[in-house]
Amino acid sequence: MGLFKSSEEFEEMLSGFFRLAGSRPEIARPLLDSRLIIRFTYSDPDVVIVVDCSGDSLDVRPGDTTTKATVNMTMKAEIAHRFWFGKVNLMQALTRRQMTAKGPVPKILQLLPAIKPLYAIYPEYLRENGYADYIVS
Amino acid sequence: MLPDFFEFRMPTRVVYGPGLTSDLQAELAQVPAVRYLAVSDATVVRLGLLDRVMGGMATAGCEVVGRFLDVPPNSELGVVEACAALAAACGAEAFVAVGGGSVIDTAKMAAVLLALGGDLVDDYSGSGTIDGPLRPLVAIPTTAGTGSEVTSVAVIYDADSHTKLAFSSPSLMPDLAVLDPDLTSSLPPGLTASTAMDALTHAVEAWVSPQASPITDALAAKAIDLILGCVERAVRAGDDLEARGGLLVASSLAGMAFSHAMVGCVHGMAHAAGGLYGVPHGVANAILLPYGLEYNLPETHVKLAALALVMQADTTGPATLPAAEAVIAAIRALTGRLHDLGALPLRLRDVGVPADGLPDIAAATVMDGTSFYNPREVVAEDILAQLERAF
Repeated sequence: MGLFKSSEEFEEMLSGFFRLAGSRPEIARPLLDSRLIIRFTYSDPDVVIVVDCSGDSLDVRPGDTTTKATVNMTMKAEIAHRFWFGKVNLMQALTRRQMTAKGPVPKILQLLPAIKPLYAIYPEYLRENGYADYIVS
Repeated sequence: MLPDFFEFRMPTRVVYGPGLTSDLQAELAQVPAVRYLAVSDATVVRLGLLDRVMGGMATAGCEVVGRFLDVPPNSELGVVEACAALAAACGAEAFVAVGGGSVIDTAKMAAVLLALGGDLVDDYSGSGTIDGPLRPLVAIPTTAGTGSEVTSVAVIYDADSHTKLAFSSPSLMPDLAVLDPDLTSSLPPGLTASTAMDALTHAVEAWVSPQASPITDALAAKAIDLILGCVERAVRAGDDLEARGGLLVASSLAGMAFSHAMVGCVHGMAHAAGGLYGVPHGVANAILLPYGLEYNLPETHVKLAALALVMQADTTGPATLPAAEAVIAAIRALTGRLHDLGALPLRLRDVGVPADGLPDIAAATVMDGTSFYNPREVVAEDILAQLERAF
């Protein structure tokens, strides 16, 4: 049994967070510049979310298993959750295969500085949207 | 000081010995295959090195069911696909790669396609995307530079995007590496120098990497020591088998080090210069190593200074910045001496890079996968300044 109650809850929680990220111009701009289509495949619980940066605005599509993504990131839901708190060393996670990244990894790595502000925003988002139980101290 | 975390994995069996490839019975007895595809290139064939290895395989009762001898100096996706197709067509169970890094990397990725199928770019580029087991691979290097015979990495050129794609997985580590310095004795001085500088770059970049560990440090330090002691001897006298052996072992040690600690912006610039202007990898690394080290100096001078003793660099005090600068000066002095021997160019302008191409190299360096492992953030305008100095 993982950290999260259900697939539905985790999907809603993370999709909402990605949409919030897309609404912040300083974060959305570099993501849209990358033109990447990123599929996140989570396990425990099983959830798929596509973040499509190829258009004029960030398009977050939960459950999209058909779009051909540029980059496919696979990880446990708990690892993803800890990542957004800034508590996962991406280099280590890739080495230890806690995450796998299929596709042009450097393009993803280029985005790390741009998404860094999200580490502070994530706990706020959880608190304000009824997910306070999941805040990691 | 120990890192918070490190992992070291070395599944490749490594054997060393002058003349070893003439009788591979004991070595191949432990590889679970009989039918091999030989992968090599025209130069190795012309020098008679492949025939020597084929004789050694025959003594082991192994059957070479096909030969793929068309690997270019910078292998491409189509070459790998053709190699895998030939392996499938002739029913090969395993690969024996005889050559430099391009040959061995071709065999590595052909082994992926033969075992797992799929598309190299769509299915295997990235990190952690290749799940073994693959077909057995015996790697027999004929150059002493890439260390590919012991690494988890393969670099293949993508002509469509003009980039060198790096594939990385522990599954890519060969089953057996045979280090026979006899096979490298015919390397001309230029290739001897550039491949040795490639190995030196692997070792030094691994040494200053944020991913370095006590194990990779030990490997890198010994590799540097061996290269400094052997490279000029081997350039001056190609038949100096002790020096040849030292470089071959150093190349493998450096390979083990960087395969775990990774490399940084020197390789990033070299990949870009190779991808855009065809600069041979070892030559690019030889030219760019001092400039990349200077770029990283603000973040690495303490660690780099610790190399002063290994490199016998001319330093007078304990201060880390001057000691680190002395290490870089010692590397410059080495490349200068190799240049004086007629074995190395020293400037990007001398290897076909146009002045107006430097911004493209800088931009491609930032996008190279190595930028993630560089000790200092890789910024295009700052890299460009170093490239201009190296021009």
